[in-house]
Amino acid sequence: MYGSSEDPAGQADPAGGAAEAGRYAEDVVLAADLHARPAGALARAAAGYAADVELVAAGRVARASSVLEVMGLGARAGTPVTLRGRGAEAEAAVRALGGLLRAAG
Amino acid sequence: MGNLVGLVLVSHSGALAGGLREMIAQIGGDDVPVAVAAGRADGGLGTSERLVAEAIAAAEQGAGVVVLPDLGSAVLTVRALLAEQPQAGIRLVDAPFVEGAVAAAVTAASGADLEAVARAAEEARDVRKF
Repeated sequence: MYGSSEDPAGQADPAGGAAEAGRYAEDVVLAADLHARPAGALARAAAGYAADVELVAAGRVARASSVLEVMGLGARAGTPVTLRGRGAEAEAAVRALGGLLRAAG
Repeated sequence: MGNLVGLVLVSHSGALAGGLREMIAQIGGDDVPVAVAAGRADGGLGTSERLVAEAIAAAEQGAGVVVLPDLGSAVLTVRALLAEQPQAGIRLVDAPFVEGAVAAAVTAASGADLEAVARAAEEARDVRKF
């Protein structure tokens, strides 16, 4: 089963720019509802990096590259979201996607 | 980036497929070639092999085409066409029409190959809407 699944307790990395080799996480507060169009923009942007990025919102997880999983979070403006990336370009990917989420939809 | 994988929406209804095409352009962007094969050749509800063949030709840019049927006989129409006129690089996918088209369009827009676009459409079956 894919989809914005439950996040096992404690799995969300402590974020706020936490970085180690090939991993990077950042907390953002959504500037706008994560509707279809911004979810599509996010997924397209995510595909441009050599990294797997997940969004964690209200204990649920979605792959940033899956427009359907991101929409499935049903996340509204003002919701805190943790972005966590793995891979060679994890930091660049998380920073870029975080920028999209902070921008008004 | 090379040519993008194209999409064909096969539907019994032109209004349904046209609305979906409009929606996926909003979500996936305007770059992905999307063609509609909807209704019968005489304009009635149903699907037409000729219209599907024309739509595939319109959506093909050299990277292949993913064909999404709405339901039922749309599948049979595409299968009949592909049996009569086998073509390389055409993938009929078993996916929910709306979610599959949206996921395929977003994936195609990123320059993914035919296999990845088809997989994105078929994975849509397993993603919870909420």
